[in-house]
Amino acid sequence: MKKIIFFCFFIVTMSGCSHHDSKNSPMSLIREIHPTPAIIGSKESDDIDMLNKVKKDVEDMEELFDVAVIKGEKEILVAYKVKHLQRFHMVKIEEKLNKMLEEDYPDEDFIVSSDFKIFLEAVELHDKMEEDKDYSEEKAQKKFDKIIKLKKEMT
Amino acid sequence: MGKKAQKTPEQKSYQQLEQQHETKRPVLKNCLRAFWVGGLFCIVGQAISLFYIYFFNFTEQTSGNPTVATMVFIAMLLTGFGVYDRIGQYAGAGSAVPVTGFGNAVISASIEHRTEGFVLGVGGNMFKLAGSVLLFGVFSAFVIALIKTILIRWGVI
Repeated sequence: MKKIIFFCFFIVTMSGCSHHDSKNSPMSLIREIHPTPAIIGSKESDDIDMLNKVKKDVEDMEELFDVAVIKGEKEILVAYKVKHLQRFHMVKIEEKLNKMLEEDYPDEDFIVSSDFKIFLEAVELHDKMEEDKDYSEEKAQKKFDKIIKLKKEMT
Repeated sequence: MGKKAQKTPEQKSYQQLEQQHETKRPVLKNCLRAFWVGGLFCIVGQAISLFYIYFFNFTEQTSGNPTVATMVFIAMLLTGFGVYDRIGQYAGAGSAVPVTGFGNAVISASIEHRTEGFVLGVGGNMFKLAGSVLLFGVFSAFVIALIKTILIRWGVI
């Protein structure tokens, strides 16, 4: 019995440590972090305003509690966390969100995801772009594409 | 010959006697034990799935498969060490119903028949119990997929 308890403890403890090299992403499971919208490439204020508005709109949905928005070359990635008791309605929430975004921003191409991994990666990318001045646009775009690919993976 | 109707007076009196001395099955206690031990397994499973999400390139969607594999593997090891039997004794269905019970069924059958040789003993008896899990699991998955396909064709979902 002691061994089992130790083993469970070990697993739980191990999953707490992590090697992520940004300050926010390891904590994003437990805490709300509300990352500011990130943008790869253009620094136009129009885009930034638009992203801020998107983030605010999404965050106003009462089923969600944490949203990360990142704009890549073509698409805008919206990763969100659903409140625990609302997780039963995840499909409906995604549909609602998609519809809302499409109606309000018909010119933009959105990719939404409630997956925790996508959120984690998005926050990591956001932190890297903010902290590391040498982090180039190509690298960021590459990571962004990787996140999109991960999102589309099914099995 | 009706099975229920005809009981001799001796049988009836014996039944009464039996009921007096029989120890009651502690259903509620068993349920509670199964509930909390089964829940504990689920916590471990959740931790493993988060582990895969954090350290490897798995999403919530895809982390299910490696998690199940790991859980079955751990249950197999624990069965081999003789730990899982004790858990099973304490928790009953709580340790048999989750996917870990599958690993236990495979390994305990192979341990039991090891003396009969590797081919006819271990190989032939490994899936004695787990075989029915596989059979009915695959079959019910097939039926559910069929129903889902039909419903999608009809446009219900």
